[in-house]
Amino acid sequence: MRKGLAALVGIIALVSLTAAAEARSIRYHAQHPIPAKFGGGFCYITEPHVHAFGPSDPRLYRMHDEEYYFVGDPTPFGYDGPRYSYYGPHPVVDVGVEFGEPVYCYLDGPHYHWYQPVAQAQFEFRGGAYWYVGDYDPIYYRQRGRYVAINEAYRPVVWERPVVDVTVAPPAFHGVIVAGPGVHGHAVVAAPAFSAVVHVEEPPPASIHVGVGVGVGGPLVVGHGHVIVAEPPPRTVIIREHHDNGRHEGWYKHGKH
Amino acid sequence: MRTRVLTVLFACLVWTSVGCGKKEGGAAAGPGEPAHVDGTPHTDQVVNAWKGAGFPAEGFAAIDPTAYRAGYCSQGRVGGIDALICEYRDDDSIDRARKLIQDEWGKEGVHTGVALRSKRTLVAVADRGRSDPSGKTINKLLDTFKKL
Repeated sequence: MRKGLAALVGIIALVSLTAAAEARSIRYHAQHPIPAKFGGGFCYITEPHVHAFGPSDPRLYRMHDEEYYFVGDPTPFGYDGPRYSYYGPHPVVDVGVEFGEPVYCYLDGPHYHWYQPVAQAQFEFRGGAYWYVGDYDPIYYRQRGRYVAINEAYRPVVWERPVVDVTVAPPAFHGVIVAGPGVHGHAVVAAPAFSAVVHVEEPPPASIHVGVGVGVGGPLVVGHGHVIVAEPPPRTVIIREHHDNGRHEGWYKHGKH
Repeated sequence: MRTRVLTVLFACLVWTSVGCGKKEGGAAAGPGEPAHVDGTPHTDQVVNAWKGAGFPAEGFAAIDPTAYRAGYCSQGRVGGIDALICEYRDDDSIDRARKLIQDEWGKEGVHTGVALRSKRTLVAVADRGRSDPSGKTINKLLDTFKKL
């Protein structure tokens, strides 16, 4: 009887161990950050592969065919490969991945990716970055509430963002430009270390630190031609947005940027 | 007791010299031995490409391919990483073998593993010793393989 019980316990333990062992293989589609407790840094394997560890922050990933695909800016994780600068949300246009449906990067402001837009994608390169100038698929708005959290994941992170001149933003850009108080005319959004810095030439100089993803949705929204100015205290944010027949309304409904 | 140990050691020695000791690029397969599969990169071509790219390859030897549903297989180490190379005659066997290998990695808890095919040759590399934490070596090995 006792032998039988011991055998049963042994079998249960074995099954549990086996299940635990199988759960240790996590599939990644391409390159990705390595969690700090597994050494940190960046994994440069561009082919689908497995690791014994899961992602440190699922907000930086999309799942596709049971594989994690990293959708964030690789720079803060020590990535030293080729990179291309983007401004605002855009479709993920990595030739190395086929999702079967439009998938969007919801990162606000200037950021990097390791991929360059494919030729047929609707991007314009201006002011030092690629801007998405096409229409957003309805899925962009449906999924925004879920995936915009990627900005929260990056908020505490310190890294060098690309320098982008937002004054030459393409007219067809549908997204939001985050700047600083009193910004008019020539503005250059840059981020030497912490966050977007706005250098104001007119009116006279100011250097304001404005984190990308700064709260928007203040009480005052003033349309000024193609420029909408929002001034929510205590921080003032200028959002320059080109009219898109009302499709951008979701931005304001969701509040933060 | 000592006799039993000696017997086991002798058996291992014989098995090693007959099986695992068979080096890559040797003479044509003898009767009953697996032969390379035509129309896809051969295992020795992959190993030579890696060597040519500057990666130290060691211990590559033919193994029983039936374990991986292949026509011909070889395994060894390259750049400090375990590598298995197999040649296949059909796509279905490659897919099944890849799943088999990945399942094994899962059970084993391999730190990093990649199984990649080019034509009907499958390369499976596993970094068990965390010798390539950034995966840069593995990625170069795969790039080299894909060019064949």
